[in-house]
Amino acid sequence: MSVKKVGAKPQTLIEKIFFIDFMKGLSTTIKHLFKRTITVDFPYEVVTPSIRFRGVHGLRNVDGTEADDFEAWVKKLKIKPPEMGETRCIACKFCQAACPVPELFTIKAEKLDVPEDHPHHKLKVLAVFDMDLSKCMFCGLCTQACPTDCIIHTDVYDLSSYTRRSWVMDKDMLSQIADDFIARRGKEKFDEKSKWRQDQKLWPEYDETRPKLWDFHPPKLGPNYIDELQNTFNQVDQQVKNQSSDNA
Amino acid sequence: MSWITLEKAKKLEERFDYVKVGENERFVSVEVPKEKLIDFLSFLKEDSDYLFKMFIDLTIIDHGVKEDPRFQGVVILYSPEYKERIIVKTWATEEKLPTLTNLWSAAKWAEREAWDMFGIEFEGHEHLVRMLLWENYPYHPLRKDFPIRGFEEVELPSLNESERGDQLEGMFNYSRMHTALPTMEDIEHTQKARMPEKKSQIVLNWGPLHPGTHGTIWFLFDLDGEYVQECDIIIGQLHRGVEKIAENIGYQQFIPYTDRMDYIASINENHAYVIAAEKMLNIEIPEKAKWIRTLLAEFSRINSHLLWLGTYALDLGALTMFLYTFREREKIMDILEGITGARFTINYFRIGGVYADLPHGALDAIEYFIKDLPSRMDDYERLLTRNRIWLKRNKDVCIITEEDVYDYGLTGAVARASGVPYDLRKIDKYDAYGEVEFDVPIGEKGDSYDRYLVRMEEIRQSVRIINQCIDKLRKMSKNDPYFFQTPDEKKLKVTIDGRGLKLPEGEVYAGTDNPRGELGFYIFNKKAATKPYRCRIRSGAFYNLQIFTKAIIGRPIADAITLLSTIDPVVGETDR
Ligand code: SF4
Ligand code: SF4
Repeated sequence: MSVKKVGAKPQTLIEKIFFIDFMKGLSTTIKHLFKRTITVDFPYEVVTPSIRFRGVHGLRNVDGTEADDFEAWVKKLKIKPPEMGETRCIACKFCQAACPVPELFTIKAEKLDVPEDHPHHKLKVLAVFDMDLSKCMFCGLCTQACPTDCIIHTDVYDLSSYTRRSWVMDKDMLSQIADDFIARRGKEKFDEKSKWRQDQKLWPEYDETRPKLWDFHPPKLGPNYIDELQNTFNQVDQQVKNQSSDNA
Repeated sequence: MSWITLEKAKKLEERFDYVKVGENERFVSVEVPKEKLIDFLSFLKEDSDYLFKMFIDLTIIDHGVKEDPRFQGVVILYSPEYKERIIVKTWATEEKLPTLTNLWSAAKWAEREAWDMFGIEFEGHEHLVRMLLWENYPYHPLRKDFPIRGFEEVELPSLNESERGDQLEGMFNYSRMHTALPTMEDIEHTQKARMPEKKSQIVLNWGPLHPGTHGTIWFLFDLDGEYVQECDIIIGQLHRGVEKIAENIGYQQFIPYTDRMDYIASINENHAYVIAAEKMLNIEIPEKAKWIRTLLAEFSRINSHLLWLGTYALDLGALTMFLYTFREREKIMDILEGITGARFTINYFRIGGVYADLPHGALDAIEYFIKDLPSRMDDYERLLTRNRIWLKRNKDVCIITEEDVYDYGLTGAVARASGVPYDLRKIDKYDAYGEVEFDVPIGEKGDSYDRYLVRMEEIRQSVRIINQCIDKLRKMSKNDPYFFQTPDEKKLKVTIDGRGLKLPEGEVYAGTDNPRGELGFYIFNKKAATKPYRCRIRSGAFYNLQIFTKAIIGRPIADAITLLSTIDPVVGETDR
């Protein structure tokens, strides 16, 4: 086993007499004195959370980007096939089963009251979907369990309120939050089949506040793995080739 | 791996006719009758073929109300000479066990905790009072007949909103009844019980809500002038019964709770739990997941050590340091947020790998940060390492000897600063640690200054490990799996969200080397189940904190701050 010994060295006389230790320390602090402020002036400035950020939940509505097995799930749970703009939730309660604090959910489905010859006879719709976010750990397990990609995390984090009651979200509020989030940043997070995009970015690069906390020199983000790198090389190659052939 | 071999254990069986060797594919345990326990353990401790000098953990398993004998004691020991561990079990008939405090001082707190949680009496223990709960508390909550919600018997309406009076339906309100709470008298009683006799003139209370205690720890100092004669610590203000929760919840579902133990290094807490569970499942996770986990575990170690450095210097009066390290921490948490979705309570690791691949740009950002860090470290060191005030306040302060390390079961940087190269990353080689190169820094003397230097060096070594991880990950493919793929769904189901995950019958002890010492999980399953039957959390911070009561004796009160900062406990983990 490789072991590295560390130990104290006593101060030398020169160090002691000339206060070298203090001088060195001061040189560091003085250097910092001339640096630009890096504090973000919240709430006048805000950093846009990363796309994976686990904030307040939302319930997505049907918008044509459902996964292929969506209809099968709807059928399986005897839910009335949702129209555009209606919730994707099929009241399967998988989210509740995966949640470490299951009692924060109240999920109920109701049978539709329609005559026997109606096509929706014996089918159900989601009646109640309440979440008490004061009990939530924002762990993300519910979103990973949802078969229809209905429940999602958004980037909303501001939950402060005067009463505990306002941490209880019902299905309309949750849908509203999701719609709003999808309109703003849905394309960044999900692909056309509502799965997480493979090329999600570490941070939104359009965010203008974040460079501040990186001393105004944020890192340049590129692909992680070698095959992605090669892909980008190939693309660039292709472009160069195209250009040269154009020129010719 | 790092367990005693079956042959060696069989030799014990030959030598002592009362020893029974139990075997499972993960480790070897021996069972001895209660009457012979002390003899046997002293033999293990002293015999030159074994030398199990170091105390790791002591816990109890409750086998259920109907069983007789009902309680079983489990002792885990480590032999620094042979680099192996052993588990010794014994039945606690009549709810009593002999005390181990004459062999290892670490057993003092461990036995108090076992008394507190299970009501097992340790005969001969010098001061068997409760550890985490208060003195007049009537129950022993980790017993199987204690319900997870507790007994709700105190009326506490003030928690509720008065808007609708008592009509709580649909309000998501708390019930009016609450589990037992300590009254002022109880607290006074507890304090008296912890320090029954005053040796000298005054008893100084420090904490529980003092910024210097880094959480809610309550210290009692018996002071002669400025010098500490006697010290005791009251912890438990943050006790949430995490072990009880673990026993009542699915495996993946428990991971977010581990986040909330050592909240400074939550990744490492997750890590320890998933390592233990994977060992129990006996699965090999994908290569990519291993490297990602190693990378992030070290990243989190840097994060944790930076917080330690900042607050430590702040406590000793160097405020600037705090601002510098928090600037760096901000960047780390910024990257972590991008990768995992949370800054603090990460919950990214899963039993079977990680829950998602690294996002675009993650390695670049980490690399960028890691390149920059050594120069920042030089800045910090220029401010502190040679500074005469810093030297005066740290050198030769509260020396912890090598003997103390074994006696008190100290782990992590505290042990290493005392010259014991105990590092689970080297011993167990979990995940990718077997394949990366790094040094284990060790100190010479065991004073606070050594603990400081060791942690500083650990940050530099973490940088080394991270660089190797990045190089390795770069060579992998985007399409490599990051989560375990089961060969047969029917036999073994491992899911990211944890539904349907069952762990087999058996037991396991495994852990990781966390910034605050060895965090180990002992999981015991009577039969294959979706919840562990018994989940013991061996907290490094808990055992490390215990040395405080010894190392502070005879030191001036100002050293308490230095000592506490260099031990660096986190209350979420000591109290669980
Ligand atoms: S984020 Fe976690 S705690 Fe919150 S609702 Fe989802 S699963 Fe439950
Ligand atoms: S898992 Fe998804 S579809 Fe099922 S109840 Fe929860 S939100 Fe609705």
